[in-house]
Amino acid sequence: MSHYDAIIVGAGAGGGVAAGVLAREGKRVLLLERGPHSEFAQVPRDHLRNQRMSFYGHNAGPDVDGNPRTLEDGSIVLPHERGYQNNAAMVGGGTRVFGAQAWRFMPQDFHMASTYGVPEGSSLADWPIDYEVLEPWYERAEWEIGVSGTDSAMTHLPPYKRPYPMPSLAPNTSMRTHLKGLENLGWQALPMPQFINSEDYNGRQACIRCQHCVGFACPVEAKNGTHNTTIAAALRSGKCELKSGVMVERIDCDDGGRVRGVKWIDNGGRRGSATAEIVIVSAGAVESARLLLNSATTREPQGLGNHSDQVGRHLQGHYYPMVIGLFPERMMDNQGPGGGVATCQFNHGNPDVIGGGMLADDFIVLPIISWKMYAPRDIPRWGHAAKQFMRDKYRCLGDIKGPVHEIPSPDGRVTLDPKVRDKFGIPVAHLSGTTHPETVRTASFMYERAEEWMRASGAQKVWGYRPDLRLSGGQHQAGTCRMGEDPAQSVVDPWQRVHGHDNLFVLDGSVHVTNGGFNPVLTIMATSWRAAERIVEQW
Amino acid sequence: MFSDQQLRTLHAAIDRVIPPDDFPGGVEAGVADYLLRQLGRDLAHLAQDYPRFTDALEAEAQAAHGQAFVALGDAQQYALLALVERGEVQAVWPLDPATFFAQFIEHCAEGYYSDPGNGGNRDGVAWRMIGYEVNG
Repeated sequence: MSHYDAIIVGAGAGGGVAAGVLAREGKRVLLLERGPHSEFAQVPRDHLRNQRMSFYGHNAGPDVDGNPRTLEDGSIVLPHERGYQNNAAMVGGGTRVFGAQAWRFMPQDFHMASTYGVPEGSSLADWPIDYEVLEPWYERAEWEIGVSGTDSAMTHLPPYKRPYPMPSLAPNTSMRTHLKGLENLGWQALPMPQFINSEDYNGRQACIRCQHCVGFACPVEAKNGTHNTTIAAALRSGKCELKSGVMVERIDCDDGGRVRGVKWIDNGGRRGSATAEIVIVSAGAVESARLLLNSATTREPQGLGNHSDQVGRHLQGHYYPMVIGLFPERMMDNQGPGGGVATCQFNHGNPDVIGGGMLADDFIVLPIISWKMYAPRDIPRWGHAAKQFMRDKYRCLGDIKGPVHEIPSPDGRVTLDPKVRDKFGIPVAHLSGTTHPETVRTASFMYERAEEWMRASGAQKVWGYRPDLRLSGGQHQAGTCRMGEDPAQSVVDPWQRVHGHDNLFVLDGSVHVTNGGFNPVLTIMATSWRAAERIVEQW
Repeated sequence: MFSDQQLRTLHAAIDRVIPPDDFPGGVEAGVADYLLRQLGRDLAHLAQDYPRFTDALEAEAQAAHGQAFVALGDAQQYALLALVERGEVQAVWPLDPATFFAQFIEHCAEGYYSDPGNGGNRDGVAWRMIGYEVNG
């Protein structure tokens, strides 16, 4: 059996960063990914099957067949169906097909409980680390992965010690219009920081402003994920072996709590295993929790790290209030990626609600998504008028939305389904509960701010979607292996080592105590960078 | 899956949902091709219901006008489909008219506005109509 210094389960944002750090330090790494290592052409520009609109399937995994989950009402859901809480399954994970927003959380995001108090029934808590601790790692990720942005515009954060490595992308029509709206209101306005090359960077070219950014792979690799940065470097170093198309079945652990290695099954049904000095779990908040729960031992019959019944709880993602506006002029000028102007005016300090969130204009909207979700409700859905609306108004629609900082509930959780198994025969994730209802109040408040902004930008007609109470997760999934000092109330310590296990770590969004009012990927990268460097230091 | 007559009814209905004007209607743009492909794939669970739907449209035309659906003028076809949309039908329907029609509209739009790789939106004609460009 092969022996490695480290085995990493999952080649997304967290695992990809860990692979890069460990390989650079000379460690022999085995990086395992259940999805494929795809070329651009293998991530189709299918408008009905992509990470933005998974109507009939996904372009970036997981496969519709053989990967079910179950819900509280007893139903079995497939990866493209509502309630599944899917994230991409491929080398690079979500970073291969994301919208590439590169947000730092705010200092207050790490202190939600002490800032707002803990509403009854919620598991709102402070992080054991703060912005100051993460700041150098945010900066590291911004430079090594590659972010374009304008640090001087990030007035909601302490001053940056180092600017972004690339300037912001030039604004398009939507950005200019919505910037005017923010100016009219006197609200903070900033160009969204993005993992997108605005100029040649790290040997890859600048963005060509195409119309298939979010939900799709970049045709020129100007969108920076782990697949073309840290993982690519790890593979070049010769120290990292990548196995794609393998599903890890369990982590092997001895009676003393020391992890020995992992067992997997590949897509052809062949079993394999390897041993290592350490194991890093980076499978995303649903699958990381599932793997720990599926790795029970006689010492921990409820699953690894689950002695306090914390693994899988506090599942959270983001509610997205969304407001659509019809403008007298064209908003869509075909200059991708589309979204680009944001405000952090309402992330904190709002009257009567807990937290808040960032708001931004959105990416270029695919025509079929526009038809399905953006058409005003008083326009006929068929016949001449429906066609005429798309013809005349598709390019005159704008939308504003943003991630709301969720108030977690211990009942929003991942457990194992006692009966249903995936195509490998592994018990699947069962999802139950909801986010705490306070989240709905904050989301409604943010919806109203989005409406205000949309009107100030000049929309003639405004409508949208107010979020309802539900379980959250999806592409921003987090919280299921919460970080904390106290093993009774958390799964990993502040260095992301699983309590009670010297050589088992979780490096992904699972460790987030709360998930910020921002896209969480830069925070996943920053925490993973910090934890991986610590692992190497203490080797 | 469809008889010739059923297919003619389907085509007529598609062209009322997305009618031709100075840009192609649904059928010319490949919506029927999209739908037939999907009925063998993601919409296989509706492969039996679609012929029933066209038969029901036909029965509805006979009940209301004593004529085949395809023999009606465009305006009569619109009016008849508008009643179907509201569930106000005269014939006996083997499926819920309003629910099925709402689904049918979605499928027509998917064929018309999604990428040509899915079998409809021939040569990207719907994207040209609305001004969605693809570069790169």
